[in-house]
Amino acid sequence: MMDFLQACCDGLLTGALYALIGMGLALIFGVMRIVNFAHGAFLMAGMYVTWLLFDKFGINPYFGFLPAGIILFALGYLVYVLLILPVRDRSDFMQILMTTGIGLILVDGAQLKFGADYHYTNIPLKNQAVHLGQISLNKASLLSFAIAAVFIVGLRAFVVRSRTGQAVRAIAQNRDVAPLMGINVTRIQGISFALGIAVAGIAGGLLLPALYVFPTVGDDYTLKAFVIVVLGGMGSIEGAAFGGLLLGVTESLTSLYWHNEWALIVDFILFLLVLSLKPSGIFGRQRT
Amino acid sequence: MRAGWKLWALLPVVVIACFLALFLAKNNYQVQIMFRVALYAALALAWNVVGGYAGQLSLGHVAFFGIGAYGFTLFAAHSVPNWSAVFLAALAATVLAAMIGSIVFRLRGPYFTLATIAVAEVLRLTARNLDFTGGATGLDTPALFTGKTSWKMFYFAAVTLGVIAFLVNVWVSRSRFGYQLMAIREDEDTAAAVGIDSARKKLQSLMISAFLTGLGGALYASALQYITPDDVFHIDISIRIAIITMLGGAGTLLGPIVGAILLTSAAEVFKNLFQEGQLLIYGVLIVVVVLFLPEGIVGGLRRLFERGRKRQQLVISSN
Repeated sequence: MMDFLQACCDGLLTGALYALIGMGLALIFGVMRIVNFAHGAFLMAGMYVTWLLFDKFGINPYFGFLPAGIILFALGYLVYVLLILPVRDRSDFMQILMTTGIGLILVDGAQLKFGADYHYTNIPLKNQAVHLGQISLNKASLLSFAIAAVFIVGLRAFVVRSRTGQAVRAIAQNRDVAPLMGINVTRIQGISFALGIAVAGIAGGLLLPALYVFPTVGDDYTLKAFVIVVLGGMGSIEGAAFGGLLLGVTESLTSLYWHNEWALIVDFILFLLVLSLKPSGIFGRQRT
Repeated sequence: MRAGWKLWALLPVVVIACFLALFLAKNNYQVQIMFRVALYAALALAWNVVGGYAGQLSLGHVAFFGIGAYGFTLFAAHSVPNWSAVFLAALAATVLAAMIGSIVFRLRGPYFTLATIAVAEVLRLTARNLDFTGGATGLDTPALFTGKTSWKMFYFAAVTLGVIAFLVNVWVSRSRFGYQLMAIREDEDTAAAVGIDSARKKLQSLMISAFLTGLGGALYASALQYITPDDVFHIDISIRIAIITMLGGAGTLLGPIVGAILLTSAAEVFKNLFQEGQLLIYGVLIVVVVLFLPEGIVGGLRRLFERGRKRQQLVISSN
C-alpha cells in the first residue's frame, strides 16, 4: 500500500511536467491545427540552454529555466515566421514533414555542436528529500512540480482571461471568422506557437536536474506529448493537464508493478487504445 | 498506357546498368554503399505505394522492416530454410500491416501518422525487453550468401527487390486500384462518395507496401549479420524512407530511385565529413523540399516539362 502511494506521488510529480509539455502542444495544435513533431526537440533545446547556463555561468537550473523559456519563445516565433507560416495552409502531410525536419535539425544540430555525450547537472537539492509519514519526496522534483503547477495555472489563466488568450480561443474555434472580428491571426498564431515552444523549453529546464542531457533526450517526449494531448482531447488545454498527470501516474505504477522499460510501452498502447476507441480523448468533448 | 513501351525498354537497360555498376566498385565498402542505395530505393518504392499514391504519411514503416528482420532471424533459428524464412517474415509483416491498418485507417491525417510511429515504438521497446528476441543486445542473423562475393550477391538481391518493387509501382500507377488510391489521396470524402471503399483500399496498399518492406528488412538483417532492436526498429529508418521518396517525388515511378541515389550518397559524404549529427542533412533537405519542392525532383521536372509542352502547343494553335 505504501509502495502504491509512493508511486502515485512520484507519478504526480512527473505528471505535472508532462502536463506542462502537453499543454504546450495542445496550444499549438488547438490554435494552429499544426501537429508539432518537433515538440520534444524544443524541449531538448530548453534543457541544453539551461544546462549551458549552469555549466558556463553556474546558474542554478531553477533560475536558468526562465531565460531558457524566453530564448525558446524567441526561437519559436522565429521558426513560426520562417518555416511554419509558409506551410500553414498546406496539407497535414506537408506540415508533419516540416516539423519532423525542424526536429531533426535541432537534434542533430545539437549533436554536431555539443556531441552525443551525456551531461549531468549536480545540485545539492537533488539529494535531499521531504518525508511525509513513510512517503519521501525528492526536493528537486517537488520544486519542479511547484514551478510547473504555477505555469499550468498561469497558462490556463492567460488563455481563459487575457485579451490575447481570448483571441487565441477565437481562432481555435473558427479561424475564418476570427479575422473579421479584428484579430490578427498571423500574430496571434505566432504568439501561441512561440508560447507552446517556450513552455516545452521551461519543462525541459525543470527536467534537467532529474535527467541526463543529450541530443536525443527529447525524442521520447514528442510521442509522450501526443499521448498526453490525445488522452486529454486534442486541442484542449485543461484536458492536456489531466492527461499529463494521468500519464505520470500510469508510468510510475507500471514501473512499480512491472518494469520501467515497460512504462513507455504501456504509454503507447494506451495511446493506440484511446485513438482507436475514443479519438476525442478521455476528457475531450465530442467534436463534430 | 502513355509511354508504356519506353518504360519496358528502359527496364532492362537500368538492370544491366546496375550490374555493370558493380565493376566501378573498387572495394567491398563501395559495394556495401551500392547495396544500401539499392535497398533504400526498394524500400522507398514500397513506401511510395502508401505514401505516394495513397497519400498516407506513414512514419512507422520501420515496423514492417524490423518484423522482416526479426521474423527472418527467428524463423531461420527454428529450422525454417533461409529463403522460406525470408518470405515467412515478409508475410508476418503483411499480417502486422493488416492488423495496424484495421485500427489506424479509421483515423485520418495526423492521427494516422502518430499511430504508425506508436506501433513501431511499441515493437522496438517490446523487442528490447523479450528474451527470445535477444533483448537490447540483439541476435546473430543467418547468412543468405556466404564467401568473398557475399556483398555482391546481397547487392544483386537488393536490385532484384528494387525491380519487383518498381514493377509493383508500375502496376499501381496504371491500374484501377492505383487510380482509386490516387482519388483517396486527392480527396477522401469525394472518393468515398463515388463508391470507393477508402479504408479497404488504404489497407490493401499498406499490406502490399509492408510485404515489400518486410523482404527488405530480412535482406538487411542477413547482410549485416547482426540485428538489435535499436537498429532495425529505429524511427530514423522510417524518416529516411519517407524523405527519400519525398525528395525524389512521391507518387512518381522514378522519384524513389532518384531520391535513394541522391540521399544515400549525400548521407555517405556527410558521414565522412562529420562524426556526429549525420541526420542534419535529412532535416535540412526535408525543410527545403517542403518549402520549395513539394512535388520532389521528378515531380518538379515533370511539371516543368509539361508546362513547356503546353506552351509549345499554345504557340502552334495560335499560329
